Amino acid sequence: MNWKEFFKNLRTEEQGCVPDETKREFLKIGLIITGVAAGGSLLHVVSVVAEGLATSEELHKEYPYKPHYSMVFIVDRCINCQLCVEACRETNNVPEYGWRTKILERVDTKAVDQQSQFMPILCNHCNNPPCVRVCPTKATYKDKQTGIIKMTSYKCIGCKACMVSCPYDARYYNEEKRAVDKCDFCWESRLSKGMEIPACVEVCPVEVRIFGDLSDPNSEVYKIVHQMGKAVWVLKPETGAKPNVFYTIG
Amino acid sequence: MWLSDLVLSEIIEEGFKYQESEEAGGPEIEYTKPVKGVLFSHKLHVKDLGLLCESRHMAIFEMEAFKSQRNPDFNMDSLYKGKYCGACHDGKIAFASNTKCATCHIGVKGLERLKKKAQAVEKK
Repeated sequence: MNWKEFFKNLRTEEQGCVPDETKREFLKIGLIITGVAAGGSLLHVVSVVAEGLATSEELHKEYPYKPHYSMVFIVDRCINCQLCVEACRETNNVPEYGWRTKILERVDTKAVDQQSQFMPILCNHCNNPPCVRVCPTKATYKDKQTGIIKMTSYKCIGCKACMVSCPYDARYYNEEKRAVDKCDFCWESRLSKGMEIPACVEVCPVEVRIFGDLSDPNSEVYKIVHQMGKAVWVLKPETGAKPNVFYTIG
Repeated sequence: MWLSDLVLSEIIEEGFKYQESEEAGGPEIEYTKPVKGVLFSHKLHVKDLGLLCESRHMAIFEMEAFKSQRNPDFNMDSLYKGKYCGACHDGKIAFASNTKCATCHIGVKGLERLKKKAQAVEKK
């Protein structure tokens, strides 16, 4: 073997070097994924169910929770009115310096017509949550029934490992609680009290946020995620976190 | 030129008004009701597109800024029915009111950007 030649061709295994087939294997997010397209800094995952191997019955097995809470963002509807952020602050006592949901903005002054787009984010309530994996005291955990990632504040020692590990920047340290705080789909403030939707969903004037049970074929989220007409994607699928928050356009 | 002609930015309870230059034809108006961060740009409509003041004022909008905002029907539904901005933004004359949302809805982020810009001009 010509070692000189061998070392010259040796490359580090960055993401770009991984063959598409391997990527597809890796990126299984609990759904059947058939296409990966790069768009900006975010990888777009297109889920196409009918083309996949699973029948809808088989797909059902992929949802381990009941109700399997999920949110879909119809992202081009967002107008950054911040009503969701304000409602969240009020409902969940989120301080000025913290956030449970945020709206990101992308500006392109050279774009045709519309030159900015807004993208709301919150905790993705991942099926394979990195934050839960790194928590040394099990203060953060995935609820066995609903799949919501919850916090037990008194167990939190404030090491902030979960904040670092979260791919979605969905956590902040709450000085008053002396614990990390995050979105729980309003479980404590609303859902556990019999209300059906989180505050941000209720207040949104343009119905960007669709909330529901992903395991229920009659729910709106199920219908949006399991259709072929429009691309549905998740954020940062390459982390393997298997998020339960989906994005699409209206 | 008088100093007052140079900058005419105003943060009032109803919204935000900011005039970049005399040639712009009027101020940039930021509505805050019913939702925050909605921009009407005189600079774009009058200076860049060359629309005449009389073509819209009095017939659709009064001269006083934010007057229409006080009407209870100042919302998207009225626009779809051809009122206010919807008189032109109907998909024929200009892009339809129910498309390209973030063009006019520059949001709270856009509003902050505009305020910063106005302050920077004022400092000069």
